[in-house]
Amino acid sequence: MRRVAIAILVTSATVLAAAAVAYADTGGLTPPDPHSPNASRINDAYEFIAIFTGLIFLLVEGSLVVFVVKYRRGRRARTAEGPQIHGSGRLEVIWTVLPVFVLAAIGVFVFYKLPGIKDVPKAAAADRTTITIEGHQFYWLFRYPNGAVAIDAMRAPAGRVVVEKITAPEGDVIHSWWVPRLGGKQDAIPGKVNTTWFRTNDVGRYEYRCAELCGVRHALMNGYVEVMPKDEFDRWASDREANPTSVALGKEEWQGVCQKCHALDERVVGPALRGNPLLADRKGIETLVRNGRGLMPAVGSTWTDDQIDALVAYTKRFAKGGSSGG
Amino acid sequence: MAVRADVTPYRADWRTGRVASWLTTADHKRIGILYIWTALVFFVIGGVMALLMRTQLATPNETLLTGSAYNQAVTMHGTTMVFLVIVPILAGFGNYLVPLMIGARDMAFPRLNALSYWLYLLGGIVLYSSFFAKDGAPTAGWTSYVPLSTLHSPGVGQDLWILGLHVLSISSLAGAINFVVTVHNMRARGMTWMRMPLFVWTLVTYAWLLVIVLPVLSAGLTLMLLDRQVDTHFFNPEHGGSPILYQHVFWFFGHPEVYIMILPAMGIISEVLPVFSRKPIFGYKAVAFSTAGIAFYSLLVWAHHMFAVGLPVGLDIFFMLSSMVIAIPTGVKIFNWLATLWRGNISFDTPMLFALGFIAVFTIGGLSGIFLAAFPFDWQATDSYYVVAHLHYVLFGGSIFGIFAGLYYWWPKMFGKVLDERLGKVNFWLFFIGMNVTFMPQHFLGLLGMQRRIYTYDHGGLWETYNLISTIGSYMMGLGMLVFVVNVVRTARIGRRAGNDPWIGDTLEWYATSPPPPWNFERIPFVTSARPLRDLRRRLAEERGF
Repeated sequence: MRRVAIAILVTSATVLAAAAVAYADTGGLTPPDPHSPNASRINDAYEFIAIFTGLIFLLVEGSLVVFVVKYRRGRRARTAEGPQIHGSGRLEVIWTVLPVFVLAAIGVFVFYKLPGIKDVPKAAAADRTTITIEGHQFYWLFRYPNGAVAIDAMRAPAGRVVVEKITAPEGDVIHSWWVPRLGGKQDAIPGKVNTTWFRTNDVGRYEYRCAELCGVRHALMNGYVEVMPKDEFDRWASDREANPTSVALGKEEWQGVCQKCHALDERVVGPALRGNPLLADRKGIETLVRNGRGLMPAVGSTWTDDQIDALVAYTKRFAKGGSSGG
Repeated sequence: MAVRADVTPYRADWRTGRVASWLTTADHKRIGILYIWTALVFFVIGGVMALLMRTQLATPNETLLTGSAYNQAVTMHGTTMVFLVIVPILAGFGNYLVPLMIGARDMAFPRLNALSYWLYLLGGIVLYSSFFAKDGAPTAGWTSYVPLSTLHSPGVGQDLWILGLHVLSISSLAGAINFVVTVHNMRARGMTWMRMPLFVWTLVTYAWLLVIVLPVLSAGLTLMLLDRQVDTHFFNPEHGGSPILYQHVFWFFGHPEVYIMILPAMGIISEVLPVFSRKPIFGYKAVAFSTAGIAFYSLLVWAHHMFAVGLPVGLDIFFMLSSMVIAIPTGVKIFNWLATLWRGNISFDTPMLFALGFIAVFTIGGLSGIFLAAFPFDWQATDSYYVVAHLHYVLFGGSIFGIFAGLYYWWPKMFGKVLDERLGKVNFWLFFIGMNVTFMPQHFLGLLGMQRRIYTYDHGGLWETYNLISTIGSYMMGLGMLVFVVNVVRTARIGRRAGNDPWIGDTLEWYATSPPPPWNFERIPFVTSARPLRDLRRRLAEERGF
């Protein structure tokens, strides 16, 4: 029985390890490959702690296995007593004090790394971009210093310090902003602004997720941070700012906000929308997204008029029935 | 006053029926058994919800459960396991064992004790009635964070959740006071605090912690109810309230609750290990005082659940250090347990297997807790599957393993028959391997970026692999539970009769018959050490020798 169990354990451990190595990164054995100094310092802390906990793990599980094998009953009588040892003051002191040193070491290392993780690095204004990140049921809204707005895809410049001001509108719920490869998470709390940051030179897409249960579509509050070369980012931002009612933004809103709960042709959480005259009714749509209705949250409570115009500019194509949309 | 063995109290005829006698009982043993059976039923229900969730997550984009159904399962699984399984089943063990172990004839307040049980059942029924409410069961998670649970949970389900928890906390509070009074006042002659079984130590600590933190939970629930029903604004930021206040209140209760769930399980381990090693517990005082130490520090660590809400950094540092300090008394326990095994004569009966399994997996849960206490790393791990893995290593590998060690250990005392050892071992290995296969990959999922409480995901690759492995493991545990049920039925039918003391135990409950009579003991022996039964056996042997 025990041999079978051990065989199963060893096999599954080997399969796991092999599977882990076969894929990129470390397969979840450490936090994912960091692309920002704060994320990489968190990984340093993880690895430092892992050394000590690894040793303690080996010590405890090792002695457990050794004792279980060595002091098993075997042919002895069940009633045969072991030596009646009631304790040892010296040992108690040792295994109380040694962990204190281990924990102190971990504490010192973490506090040494802390400023580099938490504090936003000093940077000249030209090397810093502040983005306000609003968590809504069930999408993320990004506001840029020049007034540009984006939804569910956060564009960010490479090489600059990106300061993330994370919040949620009053009347919404708590969300949590998490871009694993660009640092830890911070909650988006109604009525409160939390700050974190990242800086990366690596152009590319970094997945983010909402980590705090926020309702029925919590699992879909995902997207990506798109890190672009600086000049490309600046171009995108000024273009967005110059066209605040663009169809491009309208499409982001439709996909990121409406389609989390609605589809064109079938009921999802909310009703199907194709042919709904509201989609072309600027006033009706404004009332709906600003205030919500029934189970639908006030998804647009913080939107500008331009944002609503952008949405209608995109959705009016679905207002007529039939297959004209798309 | 204790009931004299030679005087049978008057009982009306109608109360002696097979069912009625259980409905009207105030006997601590019967109440304990009611607690344990009820909790086991809820354990199966909560487990089925877990299996549903694991099935939903076995593959990407699975459609077995809708988002709403999944959130109901998340909420009810967590609430059930915490409030309807682990806490009450430990109360059940406490009810059954504390009077026997301290040499008393019953709890201090037998009728209050019965009330505690019936309120527990009522609370469970109220909670489960939410499935029949409009919009179904609550969906805000067992933590029910505001404003999700206030402004954004319109259904009656959330109100039933609040009401159910209110009833349950009254039940637990009454039960806890009963334990405290019983242990402080009703110990047998000679049973000083330093001769008390370690399980009783942990149970009295459990009771004190409940007395301290349950009122805080009740206050938080009341504020939530007021916010929902009469438009107060305790937690509503639009009118100057604070959603974070709820988290402080909830976790001031919620973290000690974790220790409420683990300390008595540790107490069971401290009873089982010495008996099956044929040695005294190593460092009795260290184990007892570390229990009190853990309980004390557990009141000072609550905000380590809140590192990502943006507390002032000074608070983060305080709660990191206090959380790490708790590792020290916990480590002391583990080292003392290991030292108890050292040079012992170890028998591998099922209770012992669960106790050894407890040490093996609880250690992993403890070590991942050290990672989580380091708040910069917690910013990565919190609310991810890493936390799900951590808490299940502690609560399944810890509490549930402890509970099953206790079930197999005391079953002969409670029902007079020994659970089948072969099935018991199959049960253990399915649980042990199953829980590691389920929860180990969840650490990796969390570090890969999988957040908790999501009903679906669209990643293939490692996400899919780990999730599938995890689901397979959960089925193994489900199978293990089935084996346990078969074992219970089989034992009831053809189980081997247990004598008074099948394991050659050390504590007073083994002095009574199996099962004990309503008055527990004909004569309560004078207690001369922490192992009164061993003392008796030795005295008998000496007398025979002369």
